[in-house]
Parts: sequence; C-alpha cells; structure tokens
Amino acid sequence: MGAMDYDYLIKFLALGDSGVGKTSFLYQYTDGTFNTKFISTVGIDFREKRLMYRGTGRSQWVHLQLWDTAGQERFRSLTTAFYRDAMGFLLLFDLTNEQSFLEVRNWLDQLRTHAYCDSPDVILCGNKSDMEDHRVISEAQARDVADKYGLPYLETSAATGHNVGLAINILLDKVMTRMENAIDNPMFPVRQLKLPEAPPPISSSQMSQCICNTL
Amino acid sequence: MALNPAYEEIGKGFVQQYYALFDDPAQRPNLVNMYNPETSFMTFEGIQLQGSKNIMEKLTSLAFQKINRLITEVDSQPMFDGGVLINVLGRLQCDDDPPHAYSQIFVLKPLGGSFYCAHDIFRLNIHNSA
Repeated sequence: MGAMDYDYLIKFLALGDSGVGKTSFLYQYTDGTFNTKFISTVGIDFREKRLMYRGTGRSQWVHLQLWDTAGQERFRSLTTAFYRDAMGFLLLFDLTNEQSFLEVRNWLDQLRTHAYCDSPDVILCGNKSDMEDHRVISEAQARDVADKYGLPYLETSAATGHNVGLAINILLDKVMTRMENAIDNPMFPVRQLKLPEAPPPISSSQMSQCICNTL
Repeated sequence: MALNPAYEEIGKGFVQQYYALFDDPAQRPNLVNMYNPETSFMTFEGIQLQGSKNIMEKLTSLAFQKINRLITEVDSQPMFDGGVLINVLGRLQCDDDPPHAYSQIFVLKPLGGSFYCAHDIFRLNIHNSA
C-alpha cells in the first residue's frame, strides 16, 4: 500500500502531566516501534499506524497519527495549533500520582478552549493499572470525574498493554461516528481529511469550457 | 551611573551561575537570592510573576529532575544605569525528552558591588506551524 492509500487521516493528541506515561502508551500501541518523528519547530513527536475501521458502512483504511507533546507540557506551554488540529484526545493521568489526577480538570479546560469545538471527543485513561500496590486513585473516584465531564473512562497499562488498544478504538469510534454524522458541521477540522479520489477543484471538462468561453 | 565595560563577562558569568543553580534540583531553591522580593519580574511561558516569592513558587513547581542544557549563544549589552541586558539562545533536554530550543532574557541591575535579576523572560522556541 502506498503512502497516500487510505480513506481517512485521523490525528489524535495525547495529553496529561509529564510522567503519566503518554509516550509509553503510544509506544505500546504502535507495537513497540521507536520510529517517531520529532518536529523541533513545533516541539512535538508523532507516530503513525494504519488500520482497518469497520463502522456502519463499508470498511475504511484509517491512517492514524498519534501526537505526543514531547516534554513541552512540563513548561505548561503547548502550541495551541496541536489542539486545533487534533480530532480526538487521549487524556492520561497516573493512578499512582494524585497530582496528575487533579490536573485532569485543567487539561480539559485547556483542551476545550483550544480544540476545534467546545466538546471534542476525549477518552480519559487512568494509566499504570499494573502498579496496583502504588495506586492512590480508586476506580470509583476516577469514574466520578469521568461521569462529571461526560467522558468514557478506562484503566490502562502502557507497561502490559492492558486496554491500550481498546482506548484508541473507543476514541476512534467516537471520532468516526462524529465524522459520519457531521458532514455539515463546519467546525470539524475536515481540511485534515483525505478522501479517496477527491474530485479536483475544477474538472477537465469545466476547464475546457472555461477556455472555450475566453476564446 | 555609567556603562559597565565588563558587560560581556558579567553576562556570561551570570548565565553560568544561574543555570548551575537552576539545573540542580537540590540547588534550585537558592535562585531566590537572584531576585528582589518586590521589584523583580518574570514572564515564564506567558505567565507574569512579580517578586522573588512568586517567581520561586513557579520555578520549584516545574516537573523535571535531570536537565541537559546546551547554550548556543549569550549576547549582552551594557545599560546606562550600570545594569546588563542578556539574551540566551539555547536548548534544553529534560529527563528522556527530545531537546527543545528556548530563549531567555535577563536584565541585571546593580546592587552594591553586585547585581540582582530585575527582569527574566523565558520561552520555548516552539511555533504554531512546522
């Protein structure tokens, strides 16, 4: 399959405090591939994965771009363009770190301020579920917060891979559903879409007509 | 007061001393001595702070342990009050993150035989488009 042979290009942004495991999470999802691309001008890393999505209609090839904030979140500086271009958000906190859980609200505020719309698709992940002995946030506490903000919640482990693929699939499903239902929604960052065999802006027949008219 | 002819050495010396404290988590709290309790200003990634107490709260809240720092250039100018204006261009690498470019501006004001940091502006050099 060639580089451009896909139906949809979908961009997800992983957010959350430093140390919650965003990079490991994406590393785990992309089958342990290290070939990330770091773009220093914007200060972000990204990984890619291609998958077959089976929604209500025909199966579609999805080219997934997973953006990682690469440490700039430590400075509380995030290029707002990332938020604007992302179609879905993986919001992670660390089940063994209370502060990272308390920051979820701030990340949501940031995200809703800068994303392409007020209520973008987000999934909340309580990461490091394998470190049960060090857990300080209970599942009930996390679910309360997730319910309050209307987010799906999963407990994940980037170390073992537990629920990592599921989290991405749930988010992808939400984004694809929104896309199918919201063709008329001008807020959606559709300029990111690459449709198969998209018609050129002016067809060749129209072009020749134009030329004829000017002659 | 007159222009200080040693502005280049003062600029380079300050930068070296400042980052030696900043980059060591154990020593970072000692940066408090660089700022004035009332009159020092800092702008950290767009956040405005005034006074050494507020500035230190911000600096000690930053979540990284190990910092590798590469200074590319330090440019300095003398000021007519005897102070020194300093611009630093460099790169920062925290823990296992990729390196980020940054710039930082300092204004040093003379205080007795020494200086204190009256203005400090920090930004990562990241942009809205690649």
